[in-house]
Amino acid sequence: MTRVLVVEDDPQTAEEIRSALSDHGFAVESAGTGREGLLKAAAESYDAIVLDRMLPGGLDGLGVLATLRTAGVESPVLILSALSGVDERIRGLRAGGDDYLTKPFDFLELTARLDVLLRRHAGVPQCETMLRVGQLVMDLLTRTVSHAGKPVELLPREYRLLECLMRHAGQVVTRTMLFEDVWNYHHIEPTNVIDVHIGKLRRKIDPDGAGSMIQTVRGAGYILRAPG
Amino acid sequence: MRLAELPRTTSFRLAMLFLLLFGTAALLLCGFLYWQTKDFLSEREDETLVTEQAAFDGMDASDLRELLAAHVVMDPHLQRLLTLFGPAGERVAGSPVGPPVLAQPSDHPFTFTQQRNGRPVYFRGLIRHLPDRHYLLVAHDMTSIRAFGNLVLESCLWGGLATVLLGLTGAAIAGADAIRRIEGVTRAIQRIVRGDLSGRLPTRGDSGDLDRLAQEINFMLAEIERLMLEVKGVCDNVAHDLRTPLTRLLAGLERARRSAGSAEDYAAAVDEGIEEIRGLLKTFAAVLRIAEVESGARRAGFAYLDLSEIGADVVEFYAPIAEQKGVALSQAGDAAVVMRGDPSLLFEAIGNLVDNALKFTPPGGRVELRTFANDGGRGIEVSDSGPGIPADQREAVLRRFYRTEQSRHTPGSGLGLALVAGVAGLHDMAIAITDANPGCRVALIGAPAAGKAEIDFMPARSGS
Repeated sequence: MTRVLVVEDDPQTAEEIRSALSDHGFAVESAGTGREGLLKAAAESYDAIVLDRMLPGGLDGLGVLATLRTAGVESPVLILSALSGVDERIRGLRAGGDDYLTKPFDFLELTARLDVLLRRHAGVPQCETMLRVGQLVMDLLTRTVSHAGKPVELLPREYRLLECLMRHAGQVVTRTMLFEDVWNYHHIEPTNVIDVHIGKLRRKIDPDGAGSMIQTVRGAGYILRAPG
Repeated sequence: MRLAELPRTTSFRLAMLFLLLFGTAALLLCGFLYWQTKDFLSEREDETLVTEQAAFDGMDASDLRELLAAHVVMDPHLQRLLTLFGPAGERVAGSPVGPPVLAQPSDHPFTFTQQRNGRPVYFRGLIRHLPDRHYLLVAHDMTSIRAFGNLVLESCLWGGLATVLLGLTGAAIAGADAIRRIEGVTRAIQRIVRGDLSGRLPTRGDSGDLDRLAQEINFMLAEIERLMLEVKGVCDNVAHDLRTPLTRLLAGLERARRSAGSAEDYAAAVDEGIEEIRGLLKTFAAVLRIAEVESGARRAGFAYLDLSEIGADVVEFYAPIAEQKGVALSQAGDAAVVMRGDPSLLFEAIGNLVDNALKFTPPGGRVELRTFANDGGRGIEVSDSGPGIPADQREAVLRRFYRTEQSRHTPGSGLGLALVAGVAGLHDMAIAITDANPGCRVALIGAPAAGKAEIDFMPARSGS
C-alpha cells in the first residue's frame, strides 16, 4: 500500500486530507508541526509527502523540505500553500518540491497530482515506444495512433492530448494538468475550452460513440480507461 | 505662527549664515581700504614735507626769516606751520608752535598735536638742523585727512548696520514664509491622515523647488486615492459577487436539510453546493490574480517571446469553440513580433480577448487576430464583427466587475478585461478599443522594437 505523510498544522484540514487520501487508497500518517514531520520522514520511508508551506514554530515547510533533501530523503514532495504568487511557487519548487498546489484546492486535483508524482518517482521506463490502452495503440516513434487496428488521424495538439491521457491511463488528469502538459502555459485558470478539445478527440477515437474511453470526472478532469 | 520657531527654519538659518559670511567679508574689505588709503595719504604728506624742506636748503638766514614772517601773515589759520627755532629750542620766527615739538629726531616725519581753542589738532611735521645750529620745522595740518579716515569708518559702520538690519529682515521674512508654507503642508497632511483622501498639498504655481515637490506628492496622493477608491470598489463588488452565490448556497443547503427525503436529494444538494463554491473560488482567484499581475511581481519571470507564436496557440486553442459557434477565427499579420514578457499571462490575456470576441460575435461572423510590428509599435489586436462596445463604455469595460448592459445576461465574471488591462500594464503596453465597423477591435500596443539584436537572444520556447 502506498504510504503518504501529511504535514499540516490545521487539524481539520489534516483530517480532510487524510480522509480524501484514504478514500483514494493511500495509507496516511499525519504530523502537526515541521519538527514532527521531519522526524517521521527521516525515520521511515514514505512514498510521498504532502507538506504545508506555512507551519507554526521555528521550522516552516520550506525549512523541512530543505533539511529532508540535505538528509538524502528522496520521496516526492507536494507543497500545499495559501500563497499563490508565481515567485512563491518557484521558490517552493527550487527548495526541492516536486509539485505545488495552492489552497483552496480540489481533493481530486491533489490525488491526481500525487498519482503523477508517485508514478514518475517509481520510474517509468524511459525508452517506451508504444502506449497501449485497451484497443487504443499509440506509436511514439512514428507518432501514429490506431484504434482496433484502424488508424486514427489526429492533429498535433490532439495527439499530445491523447498522449498525456494515455501516459496517465487509469488516473484522473485534471484540466490544469492537461493545459500545462499539452499547451505548455502555466498557472492559468482552466476553462471549459479544454472540454471542447476533449470532445473532438473523443469523437475521433470512438467514431461509433460506443462507450467513450475518455470519461469526464465531474468538476475535476478526465480519465482514460480501457472499456469493460 | 510663533516667533520662537523662526530661528529653527532652514531659510532663516541660511539667511543668517550668509549674512555672517558677507558681513565679515565686507568688514575685512572696508578695513583694508581704510588702512591702505590712510597709509597712502600720509606717505604723500611725508613726501611733500621732504620736498618743502628741501626748498629751504641753502637759503640765506635773513631771507628765511623774512619768508617766515610773510608766511605767518598769509596763514592765519595755521594750516601749514613753518617755524625756526634757535639752538636752545626757543622760537625765533614763523608760526607759533607749542613747546614739546623739538624732542623729535630730525629728518624724520612725525605726528604731533597742538592745542587750539581747547581742542587737539593733529600735525605731521619734519625738523631739520640748519648749519647755524637752528632748527626748521615744516608741518601740515592733518585734520582733513583724519576727517576722511573717520568718514570711511563711519560709512563702514552705518553701511554695516544697514546690512545687518536688511539681512535680519530678509531672514525673518524668508523664515516666516517657510513657516507659513510648512504649516500649510502640515495641516494638509494632517487632514489626509485623518482620512480625507481628497486633500492635496498647497502649491503656488511658481514652479519653485518646494512647489515641484508638492506637485509630485499631490500626484502620488491622487494615485493613492484612485487605488483606495478602486480597492473600495472591488471590495463592494467582491462582497456583491460573493454574497449572491453564498446566499444561494445557504438557501440550497437549508432546503436540503428541510425537505430532502432521500440520499439522492442530499447528493444533489451537495453537488449544487460544490458547484457554487467552485464558482466562488474562481471569482476569488481571478481577483487575486489581477492583484498579482498589477503588483508587477511577475516581471521577474519575463523572457523573450514571439507574440505571433502565442497568437497562433490562442487561435488553435479556441478553434473548436469558433467552429462550434460557426464563427471564422483566423490569424494574420507580421510574423516574429519579438518582445520580453510572460508567455502564460499573454496567452491568458489574448485568450480572454478572443473568448470575449467569440462570445459576442453572432454565428456567421468572424474574429481575426493580427500581430504587427512597425514604427508605430509592436503588438497584437483582436477584431470581431460583433455588436462592438459603445464609445462611452470603452474605458469602463477595463474596470473590474464592469459589465455592459448587453452582456449582463451572458456568463462571465466581468474580470476578463480587467485582467487584460493588468497584463497590458505589466508589459508596458497600451490597450486601445476602437470601432472595426462593424464590431470592435481591441489592440495591445507596446513600444516599437529597439533593434534587430533582440531576435538573436530569443530562445525557442521549450516543448511548443
